[in-house]
Amino acid sequence: MISELKVDLQNLLNSIQISIHNSNTSSELENIRVNSLGKKGSITLYLKNIRDYDLETKKEMGAYLNEIKSQINKLILDKKFFFKKEHLKVKIKSEKIDVSLTPYEAEIGTLHPLSRTIEELCAIFADMGFSIVDGPDIESDYYNFTALNIPEEHPARQEHDTFYLQPDIEGHRKVLRTHTSPVQIRTMEKIDLKNFDEIRYIIPGRTYRSDHDATHSPMFHQCEGLVLGKNINMGHLKGCLIDFCRTYFNEDNLPVRFRPSYFPFTEPSAEVDIGCKKENDGSLVIGEEEDWLEILGSGMVHPRVLQGVGIDPSKYQGFAFGMGLERLTMLKYGIPDLRPFYDSDLRWLKHYGFLPFDNPSLHSGLNGVFS
Amino acid sequence: MKFTWKWLLDHLETDKKLSEIIETLPKLGLEVASVVNLAEDLKNFISVEIIDVKNHPNADKLKVCKVFDGKNTFNVVCGAPNVKLGMKSVFANIGTFIPGLNLKLKKGKIRGEESLGMLCSEKELSLSENHNGIIELENSSELGLSISDIMDLNDPIIEIEITPNRSDCLGVRGIARDLAAAGAGNLKDLNVKFNDGEFDSIINWHVDLDEDEEYLCPKIFGRSFTNLKNDESPSWLKNRLIAVDQRPISSIVDITNYIMIDIGRPLHAYDIDKIKGRTLRISKSKKGDKFFALNGNTYELDDNMLVISDEYSVDDLAGIMGGERTGVTENTTRMFLEAAIFNPVSIANTGRKLNLNSDARYRFERGLDYNSPEIVMHYAAAMVNKICGGKFSKIVNFELEQKNRIIKFDPNTVYQLTGVKIENKLSKSILEKLGFKIVSVDNMWDITPPSWRPDIDGKADIVEEIIRIHGYEKIPSTKLARSNYIAKPAMSIKHRQAFFASKILASRGYNEVITFSFLNKAMADQFNGGRLALNLVNPISSELTDMRPSIIPNLLLAVKKNLNVGAQDLSFFEIGPIFKGDSPSDQISTITGIRYGEKIKKDWQKEAVQFDFYDIKLDVSKTLDAIGVPKNSIKIFKDAPNYFHPGRSAVFKIGQSIIANFGEIHPNIVDFFGFNKSAIGFEIFYENIPLPKRNKISRPMLKISTLQPVTREFAFLINKEIESEKVCMIAKSINKDLITDVIILDIYNGEKIPQDMKSVAIKVTIQPIQETLTDSVLEEISANLINAIEKKLLGSLREI
Repeated sequence: MISELKVDLQNLLNSIQISIHNSNTSSELENIRVNSLGKKGSITLYLKNIRDYDLETKKEMGAYLNEIKSQINKLILDKKFFFKKEHLKVKIKSEKIDVSLTPYEAEIGTLHPLSRTIEELCAIFADMGFSIVDGPDIESDYYNFTALNIPEEHPARQEHDTFYLQPDIEGHRKVLRTHTSPVQIRTMEKIDLKNFDEIRYIIPGRTYRSDHDATHSPMFHQCEGLVLGKNINMGHLKGCLIDFCRTYFNEDNLPVRFRPSYFPFTEPSAEVDIGCKKENDGSLVIGEEEDWLEILGSGMVHPRVLQGVGIDPSKYQGFAFGMGLERLTMLKYGIPDLRPFYDSDLRWLKHYGFLPFDNPSLHSGLNGVFS
Repeated sequence: MKFTWKWLLDHLETDKKLSEIIETLPKLGLEVASVVNLAEDLKNFISVEIIDVKNHPNADKLKVCKVFDGKNTFNVVCGAPNVKLGMKSVFANIGTFIPGLNLKLKKGKIRGEESLGMLCSEKELSLSENHNGIIELENSSELGLSISDIMDLNDPIIEIEITPNRSDCLGVRGIARDLAAAGAGNLKDLNVKFNDGEFDSIINWHVDLDEDEEYLCPKIFGRSFTNLKNDESPSWLKNRLIAVDQRPISSIVDITNYIMIDIGRPLHAYDIDKIKGRTLRISKSKKGDKFFALNGNTYELDDNMLVISDEYSVDDLAGIMGGERTGVTENTTRMFLEAAIFNPVSIANTGRKLNLNSDARYRFERGLDYNSPEIVMHYAAAMVNKICGGKFSKIVNFELEQKNRIIKFDPNTVYQLTGVKIENKLSKSILEKLGFKIVSVDNMWDITPPSWRPDIDGKADIVEEIIRIHGYEKIPSTKLARSNYIAKPAMSIKHRQAFFASKILASRGYNEVITFSFLNKAMADQFNGGRLALNLVNPISSELTDMRPSIIPNLLLAVKKNLNVGAQDLSFFEIGPIFKGDSPSDQISTITGIRYGEKIKKDWQKEAVQFDFYDIKLDVSKTLDAIGVPKNSIKIFKDAPNYFHPGRSAVFKIGQSIIANFGEIHPNIVDFFGFNKSAIGFEIFYENIPLPKRNKISRPMLKISTLQPVTREFAFLINKEIESEKVCMIAKSINKDLITDVIILDIYNGEKIPQDMKSVAIKVTIQPIQETLTDSVLEEISANLINAIEKKLLGSLREI
C-alpha cells in the first residue's frame, strides 16, 4: 500500500516536474503551484488523506510527502528566478540611450585676473607676516601729496596727471588718489606709539591718473607695502622684495636687480628690475639674465614722512614699496594688452580668468595650472 | 637728457668702453633709455660727386645723374630740386637699408632709366625731418668716405632718464662727475679761463624786489659782448646740438644751448640794441601784463610772476623763456648774457599757471648749481669770443649772502639704514669725490653738500649718496623674521567676506569684471548720484565725469557691450567702491551683480527659462549664507531704490541697516539700454553686516536623531494678497523643536478657487527627537497648525 502510494506520488511528481520545466510564463508557473501545493492542490490532497492511515504509515508517508513538497517548491522558485533573469535580460537589451548627447548647462563663472593677482600677493605677503589694509580712493591733497613729501611745486607732481574733483566752498579740491601711497600715511597715523613694535602692511587698491592710451588707463591698480620697526634696514627691503619677485614669478633663480632711483617719500630709494629676455616676436621670457624689466619702486621711508605723522625717525625706520598690478598680471600670464582689463568682454574674461575654487596658496601653488 | 659719447669724454678721462659706461649708469641711478650708434646704421652711405646731370627723357621733374665715389661711376635717377653738377652729396648703393624709408634699395629702372642707387636727404637717413632736397656736403669733402665720418655722426648718442632730484645730471659734466666718483674714470678740469673783461657792462641789473622777496632771485649775473658776428655755428657745434635734438639757430643761441647741455646751466642772451634803456629790472609781474615769448606765443601774466623788463615792457619770463622783442638774431652784434638763480617754487608755479614748458624751466625748477652763474660768465665768454669774436665787458651781478648748508651726520647711520658695513674712510672718500666737504668733530661729521646738489638736505640723502656709489648690489638680502607664529589672518573679516562672495558668485555662474569708478553724468543722476562734490574737474572724456553712485549702471553697460558682440546670456559681478560723498566714510564697498537672458537654454531636454527675481534672490541669500550672515537675522522689505522695478524688487535688512537691494532693474532703465529682456540685479552692502559677536572657533555639539522623520502635507486657501511665506513661518512656529522644515509645494489659484483666494500647499517635516511620535501627538500638531492658519491668516484647510 505504501509502495503503491509512493509510486503514484512519484508519477505525480514527475508530471509536475515536467509541467514546471515546460512552463513559459510566471502565470503558468503560478497555476502549477496552485494545482499542486495550493489549498486544493494534488499534493495537498494527499497530505489531507494521510490523516486516515495508521500511525506508522502516517509517519512514513508524511515525511515522504513533505520531501516531495519541498522538491516542488524548490523547482518553482528556481524557475521563478529563471523567469526574473530572463525578464531583466530582455529589459536591459531594450534599454538604450544616445550617449553622444549632452544637455546644455550654463558654465561656471570666472574671477578677473587682477583679483587673482591680488589674491596671490596676499598669499605671498601673508606668509611673510603682512596684513592687508585699504584706504579711500578720494583723497585730500594732503594725504596724496603733501604728507608724502611732495609739496605743491614739486616737479614730481607734474608726472602724476592728477584727477581733481570740484572744489568745495573754501576752494579745497579733493583728488582721486594717484597712487596707493597715501594709505601709508593713514596707516602710520593710526599707530599707537606706546604699544608699537613693528607693522607690516600691504595695500592693494584702485588708483587713478588722467591718462588714456595703449599703455595707460585712467584707472589702474597698485599694491603698496609698508614695513616699519626699530631695526628695519635696506637689507630687509631687499630680502623681502627678492622673495616676493621669485615667489610671484615662480622662478627660484630669478635675477633681481636693485638700482638707485628717486621717490619723494623714500630715501634712499630703489627701483627693482627682474631679468628677462625679449623674444623676436616681442614676447618676454622672465627669468633670463639678458635684459632688465622694471617691476616696482621702493625705498626707506623718508624721515620727513615719519616726522609728519609724529614718528621719531631716530627711533623707527622702515621701507615701503609700490607696484602696478596690471603690469604684474600681464607679465605673469602673458596678457598682451592693458585696455581689455576694464572692457568686460566675456570672451576675454573666460580666456584670462580663473576658476573660483582655484585658490592661490603656498601649498597648492600660485600659478593656476588647471585653468 | 641726451648727450654723446665724445661729449662725455670732454669731461671724463676714462679707459672704459661705452658698453661699460652704459652698464655703470643705471647702478648710479641714471637709467639709460637708449643708445643710438649712427655710425653703425649709416656705414653704407658714402660721399660722392655729381659729375653729370641730364634731364630725364620721360619725366619733367626727374634728372638722370652720374655720381663718382673716387673709384666708380654710378647712374642714378634723382628727383631732388637742388641736384646740380659738381655738387657733393650722399649716395647709397643697391642693397643698402634706408632707415628713413624703412626699405632696402633694389636695382631698378625709373621711368625707363636705370638707377643704381639713391642720392639721399636727411630724412632718408633718419637724421632729421628735412626732405627739401638731397644733402649737400662741403665742397672739400673727400669722396668715397662713410657719411658718418664726414658729418661727424660716429659719435654714439646716449639718452638717460633723470629723476627730479638729480638736476646736477641735466648737464654732461654732472654725469661725468658721478661716473668718476664711481671709479669709472677721472673728472677733467673744466678749464675755465677767468677774464675780468675790458670795459664796464653796457647793461646793468636792477633787482626791484622787497627785501623779504629777494629770495626769489638770490643771484643774477650778466656781462655785455660787442663786435660780435652771429653767423651759423661751426659744424662740430651744430652736429652736437643736432645729436641731442637741439635745433641749431645761430652761434650765440647755439652756444647758450650748448652750455645748458654741457654743464646744465641755462643762459639767456639779449640783443643790447633792442633793449630800451640801460637797465634790466627784475620784478614781479602785475596781472594783465603781456609777454611776447620767443616761441611766438603771447602770454597774459598773473600777479607775482618773476619777470625781467626794460624801460619799455616785460620781455623775459625769468628762468622760463626770453622775449621775442629783445632776442638775438643773425644781425646781432652786441649781446648781454644773463645767468641767474631763481627760486624753483616760483618758476614752477609760473610755468604751471601759463602751461609753458622749456628746457630752462625744467632745469630751474629742479634747482641749479648755486655757484654756476659766476663760473659760466667766464666759461661762456671764452666760447663766444672764440666763435663770434668781439670783446666782452666786466661782470655785473646781484647776489645774496649764501646760507651755510651744514648737515650733522653720524657715520653709523650708513649701517643703520642700509645694513651694509662701510668703512668710514671709504664713505668719506665717496662723498668727497662727489664734491661734499666733510669736517669730523667727535665721531660726527659736519657735511657741506656741493653747490650743485640742492636736493641734499638730510642724513638719509647722505646715506643714499654713499650707498649708491658703493653699489646697491652690496646690500645684503636679509629675511624678514616672522615676529609671531600664531596664525592671524592677514585679511580682515570684511576682506574675507568679499573674497568668499566672489567665489560663491563665480561658482553660481557669474563672471567677475572690473569697471571704472566713474561714469557719465546722466547715469550718475539716474542712480541717485551726480553730486557736485563727486564731479571730476578734468575728466578724460564726457563718458567718465562722475564718481559712480552704484555699480549697476557699469554692469548694464558691460551687458550691452557683450550683447553688441553677439553674447546672449550674461551674468556679471563686481566687488568695488561706490561713492555717496567725497569723505572716506562716504565710500562704500559693494558686491554688485547683474543677470540677463536665459537661466536654462532650450535644448533637446529642456524648455528655456529666463532669469527672474527669484534667481537673484537665491544668489543673494546663498552669498549672504556663505559669508556668515545668520538666516534668521534678515528681514525682507519692499522699498528698493527707484532704479529697481517697484513691484519686482526687495530689500534685505538687518535691523535698520540695508544689507542688499535686489530685483528687476526698472523697465525705463532697461529700455534706455535698449535691452529687449529684463535685467535682474543686486547690490550687497557687506560692510553693513554686523560682525559676529561670538568669537568661538569650536562649534556647538551636533545632535542627530536616529528616528525616521515624518512628513505631512496640507493645502490652505488664503487671501491671495497674503505673502505665501507667512504660511511657512506660522507652520514652523507651531513646534520649533519638532518641526525642522516647511516647504511650499504649490501655489494655485485656478479652477475651483475663489477669485480673491489662492491655495498654498505645504509639506511639513517633523523630526522626532527621543521617541517615535504617536498618532495622537501628530494629530495634535496638525490640528494646531490648521488652527493657527485659520486664526492668523483667516485661511481654511482645502481638501486635496
